[in-house]
Amino acid sequence: MARLVIDPVTRIEGHLRCEAVVADGKVKDAYSSCTMWRGIEVIMKGRDPREAWVFVQRLCGVCTTVHAIASIRAVEDALKIKVPRNADLIRNLIMANQCVQDHVIHFYHLHALDWVDVVSALKADPAKTSELAKTISPWPNNSTTYFKAVQDKLKAFVERGQLGIFSNGYWGHPAYNLPPEANLMAVAHYLEALDWQKEVIKMMAMLGAKNPHPQTFLVGGMAIPIDPESQNAINAGTIAALNKYADMAIEFVEKVYIPDLLAVASFYKDWAKYGGNVNFLACGEYPEANGKMWLPAGIIKNKNLKEIYPVDHKKIQEYITRSYYKYSKGENAGLHPWDGETTPNYTGPKPPYEYLNVDGKYSWGKAPRYEDLPMEVGPLARVLVAYASGHKEVKEAVDMVMKKLGVGPEALFSTLGRTAARGIIALVTAYKTKDFINELAANIKKGDYTIANTEKWDPKTWPAEAKGMGWHDAPRGALSHYIVIKNKKIENYQMVVPSTWNLSPRDNKGVRGPVEEALVNTPVADSKQPLELLRTIHSFDPCMACGMHIVEVKEE
Amino acid sequence: MDICIIGVGNILMQDEGIGPKIAEILRKNYTFEPNIEIIDGGTLGLDLLPYIEKYKKIIIIDVVDFGKEPGFIKILRGEEIPPYLKTKLSVHHVGVQDLLEVARLMGYMPEELVLAGIQPESIDLGLDLSPTMVGKLNELIEEILKILNNWGIKCVLQSLQE
Repeated sequence: MARLVIDPVTRIEGHLRCEAVVADGKVKDAYSSCTMWRGIEVIMKGRDPREAWVFVQRLCGVCTTVHAIASIRAVEDALKIKVPRNADLIRNLIMANQCVQDHVIHFYHLHALDWVDVVSALKADPAKTSELAKTISPWPNNSTTYFKAVQDKLKAFVERGQLGIFSNGYWGHPAYNLPPEANLMAVAHYLEALDWQKEVIKMMAMLGAKNPHPQTFLVGGMAIPIDPESQNAINAGTIAALNKYADMAIEFVEKVYIPDLLAVASFYKDWAKYGGNVNFLACGEYPEANGKMWLPAGIIKNKNLKEIYPVDHKKIQEYITRSYYKYSKGENAGLHPWDGETTPNYTGPKPPYEYLNVDGKYSWGKAPRYEDLPMEVGPLARVLVAYASGHKEVKEAVDMVMKKLGVGPEALFSTLGRTAARGIIALVTAYKTKDFINELAANIKKGDYTIANTEKWDPKTWPAEAKGMGWHDAPRGALSHYIVIKNKKIENYQMVVPSTWNLSPRDNKGVRGPVEEALVNTPVADSKQPLELLRTIHSFDPCMACGMHIVEVKEE
Repeated sequence: MDICIIGVGNILMQDEGIGPKIAEILRKNYTFEPNIEIIDGGTLGLDLLPYIEKYKKIIIIDVVDFGKEPGFIKILRGEEIPPYLKTKLSVHHVGVQDLLEVARLMGYMPEELVLAGIQPESIDLGLDLSPTMVGKLNELIEEILKILNNWGIKCVLQSLQE
């Protein structure tokens, strides 16, 4: 038996630690422990609800607009404000743009290196790499000269001893299956993705007036004017630029990301056996003109794709039995976020410590449950719910991917499936972006310039007390914000973020959280280099996956 | 315009927010001849890549763990910078370090890169800077103005203008 510890470099806010018990080359049990934002409600209490989004979008160093969206939706829900269609369209464009960019970045810059051996790329034959690239995609950067140049650049980087972004890898690990040429191709696209993403996010900067931290959100709509006659508003020029970035996104996802995903996945099909879960929650996203969500909301229980349950946020409760908090109603109580309490109660070992006390409380994350079940959120939840609901575009994309890999839908319930689902969502969302642009252009043509509903802007129009909640199916999964407004001010503010669902510790019944569950039975070839664990952990795209390294491994 | 100032950090974590706060002070209280770009970089790393690529001379303002007393100020240039980013103070540091490594890999590095760093006193949750930071604001701003002067930028305090 060995107890593995995977812990980030930093000991400060927002990090993740996993401990796994390994025996006979397999994970027998796992514990995920994370810190979370404690005390956001302290900062929010007493503030004007209309400015909540400005603060919450500064919470996290990874995704910001997502909190702004969830926050304004929570306030709009509390005050019963219906936003005009144009505002929804502009929000949809911001969300879709962020989603596609985020998934591409995640695949290449966070996740790919779990599958792609950078150092092996140095041994590749550029001519063979060129042949390989030509067989999988019409992408123009595929000449021998091009791959040679990338390889030389990489060599120079490695020779200077500045691995930099590549310094945290287990290069040469036996679990890497790709031939050197596939590794070189992936590294080339890693670099291209960096170049691509910095262009494609300009859509966000155009619609948000600024990036990072866009400034055009508004309770009731958006604060970016539409005026075909003005230089400083959304006009024909804006529409043309949006189309340019949307096309750029489609082209890269179609010709680089998806072919790479399929090429890499074909060498790792055994990963369709590991890293799965059984319960899923998608909260739905991209409001359509008919009031429905383009990607449907739904709950999947116990892998049953024949029955999709509607989502009712009132069925969410958070447990702290194994988390460093106290509840006034006792250790085993479950509280809905509107009644949320955040009273710290650290009972863990004194740092620096060797191991967590996994028999007691061991995480700063609460354990959210839906009807008392842990739920996986994120791209896989979105894909499964849409697929099971007969969503045309998602179904086509899933069938295409499954067919190319020669696996059935059952393979979706795995680390491989989760990674494929992220690509599928990026692809369908990249296409859908064009529809949002066309609809916005058509509205402008009709003379519909409305972007905000300000009827309830004045606090005098508000009830003495109001409660609201806002969902947003962010790139990392279902995000929800909860607000209680009293006497025009924020009385309580709580959030349940995607990583809280996925990285949840055990609950009052001792049931594992989704990542903990997914890690069980993962094979580990070398307990000093648990690359296999990182593959599954990273497939969830946890908020703080960036700085993980091994502290120590002790044989027990 | 080929000069850019980027204040990075999390304004919800007390001294962590000094970068964006100084960016705001510079934008509100000064005019620059010729003009420069001032960015509130907030908590994001890679999203700042377009700025790193675009400008020839860049000053990043951030809290840095120098292992010194709170309020200690140090100006780092070029190659002096990376070792100081090894100790991460908080989440966004991952971003800055990645950002610079990616910029180097992609060949986007500016001709001159300066990190104006200050040792924080407290990075717990809260919107206000610690008293030590407040007391050091002007000194840090003076250091930044000095760098700009050396780059041939005339900095004028607004209230002195008629």
